[in-house]
Amino acid sequence: MNAAIEITNLKYRYHDGTEALRGVSFCITSGECVALLGPNGSGKSTLLLHLNGILPEKLSGDGAVKILGEPVAPEKLEAVRRQVGLVFQDPDDQLFCPTVQEDVAFGPQQLGLGDAEVAARVQKALAQVGLAGFGHRATHHLSHGEKRRVCLAGVLACEPAILILDEPTSDLDPRGRREFKALLRQIPATKLIATHDLELVVELCSRAIVLDRGSVVADGPVFELLNDEQLMLEHGLERPHILWHVHPH
Amino acid sequence: MAGAQAKGLVSVHLIHHFHGRHESPIHRLPAALKLGLALVIIVATVLAPIQWRGWFLGVAGLLVLMAIVSRLPPFFLFRRLLALSPFVLGVVLVNAYQPAGRVNWLGVAFKSVLCLLTVILVSNTTPFSQILRVLKSIRVPALLITTIALMHRYLFVLMDEAERMRRARASRTFTRGRRFHWRALATVVGQLFIRASERAERIYDAMCARGWK
Amino acid sequence: MHIPDGFIDGRTAAVAGVISAVGVGFALRQVRRELPPRRVPLLGLSAAFLFAAQMVNFPVAGGTSGHLVGGTLVAALLGPSAAVVVVTTVLIVQCFLFQDGGVTALGANVFNMAIINSVVGYLIYRVVCRWLTGVRGRVTAIAFAAWCATVLAAISCAGQLAWSGTIPWSVAFPAMTTVHMFIGVGEGLISALVFLAVYRARPDLITETTQMAQTQRLGELVGYGLLVTLGIAVFIAPFACSWPDGLDSVAEKFGFNHKLAAPLLAAPAPDYQVPGIHWAVGATATAGAVGSLIVFALALLMGRWLVPKPKDS
Repeated sequence: MNAAIEITNLKYRYHDGTEALRGVSFCITSGECVALLGPNGSGKSTLLLHLNGILPEKLSGDGAVKILGEPVAPEKLEAVRRQVGLVFQDPDDQLFCPTVQEDVAFGPQQLGLGDAEVAARVQKALAQVGLAGFGHRATHHLSHGEKRRVCLAGVLACEPAILILDEPTSDLDPRGRREFKALLRQIPATKLIATHDLELVVELCSRAIVLDRGSVVADGPVFELLNDEQLMLEHGLERPHILWHVHPH
Repeated sequence: MAGAQAKGLVSVHLIHHFHGRHESPIHRLPAALKLGLALVIIVATVLAPIQWRGWFLGVAGLLVLMAIVSRLPPFFLFRRLLALSPFVLGVVLVNAYQPAGRVNWLGVAFKSVLCLLTVILVSNTTPFSQILRVLKSIRVPALLITTIALMHRYLFVLMDEAERMRRARASRTFTRGRRFHWRALATVVGQLFIRASERAERIYDAMCARGWK
Repeated sequence: MHIPDGFIDGRTAAVAGVISAVGVGFALRQVRRELPPRRVPLLGLSAAFLFAAQMVNFPVAGGTSGHLVGGTLVAALLGPSAAVVVVTTVLIVQCFLFQDGGVTALGANVFNMAIINSVVGYLIYRVVCRWLTGVRGRVTAIAFAAWCATVLAAISCAGQLAWSGTIPWSVAFPAMTTVHMFIGVGEGLISALVFLAVYRARPDLITETTQMAQTQRLGELVGYGLLVTLGIAVFIAPFACSWPDGLDSVAEKFGFNHKLAAPLLAAPAPDYQVPGIHWAVGATATAGAVGSLIVFALALLMGRWLVPKPKDS
């Protein structure tokens, strides 16, 4: 089995002692598009930060998290971060450079690529997200939707095998959401999307994992899970209306 | 702290966003040239004795010419120059006592205006990232450059947050007591620091996520 | 207190520039050594915070309002070196982006607001903390330290203006000092309130006490102390005491050509006395001494009022 992400019994506690993750286990194969669902406070963002080694603060390399077959260990961090592109929840946290060009170039530069290659990647990434020509724009002048797309471009410029997104469509207007959805559909990487946007889940993802209070409570095909009204309501979600109108085949 | 303090967000944004909206030959000049020239003008003006009237008039003429070519709105320039007035007033008052004051208050005021105009012209026709690049090339320490860059990037983000918190607080303030008001404002400022710290940590994570060492 | 271009002359600007460059360079070196990489973005964000915080108007009587400069506050939260770097950043951005403060005056402004405010404020803060413990002690300490730092920075600014011949010492000193004795109260009060707010919500964010060894911290403070003393010696002392006369005679005894050094020393007395207020200098000095005692007492009272005893552990 071609496992892109393999999580085995992952546990994590916050500073104040509360358990954030209580033995999470799942496996994602290459090429899958998986949704991570769950109510606020379920531990989704915390889980995602484990996938590129930002958490736990002291990495033990014990193999609870394996990316492309390799455990996430301190010596392997650089390689892991090359393969895992994480798009953060708040675009302002991720867009820390003054101009779009510099921000999208940040990743490739850290990878050690030459100037020409970096410029080429920036062009390609901006074109991919539909923002060609935006290079000279100042990051704090962008609209929310544009910021989100630049964040995605910044991650795509590193050409990762796995793309992880934390609430990518929150705060977007309907057009922004539609455009972002269309963008994501075209990206061939393995995708894990933490989101509340159930319509996005139905349209993009084949599988959904439901997290509640730090544990996986459901893991299966999207239509099966989302159609289970009782399961949805029990875990702070709901059955999306779009399912009434979409044929499962 | 006279010039930059504005009671709301709007006026500060107006001050800052200006260079983005205009285009002119001055805007297109390389940043290093503008900064270098500005520095020469400012230092020479400060060092030049008051008697060198030719120099001052010449510089004034040059600056006015640049101001016109740059197509920056004159009223905007005038308003920024007014920021000097408290200081000039102070010096004028002091020298009013003196029939033969050594300090030529007119000279001091004129020098200040010329230097201020120079800085206004350069900063409003040059994107900040270019200014930073010039600083980097003159070997300003990297840590300071990063700090300045991050400050500039998050300046408006934090000011917006501060304004939002202040409005939210004001919406729930029914008393007019000044004592409560101070504590409430201090809590807002304290919260601002906490949020800034937490954001700083998230930025660090975002930098690491893209391979920063 | 941001001095514009043209208000200080070339000599003052150059000397202040050199002193500040050394001070900031030293601070950067310290920060690079003590600050864990995780905290590097915090410097930039703290600078943005300080600027945003300065926008918050604390209403005082009538239409006036109080502001926070924040050097001492940041020093109490992040340590003196980080504070120097943070305030310097704020001053640079204010100078270039908002034209608040002159380019040639940057050295002087950095010395007054970044170095004196942060370093002296921090020093006084720690000394008082050692004497009065607990949260209440910290609140008192920061209020008093912020006031002192504000006043001292104002005196330094007055010295720079006088040395340049823009405003005579006999006017600059009383004017700047008395005004800032009042402004300093606001600064002390706001610093204390904000510090308390942060301490109550997230005490872990206050990183001024790093794992640095006592001896290292002492070394750092000695370094800054020397720099501040030099600045005071150059900008303030010549006016406060008639040094140059004494210095002249000493130089003569040792055969120095003191005439060469003369341009570097301030004029022994103000070039002219503004009629009617020549006594102002002495009066201000006395007021300052008395004022600091009063402010300290007020700070103690404030500490007592803000931090109730039972919760104090």
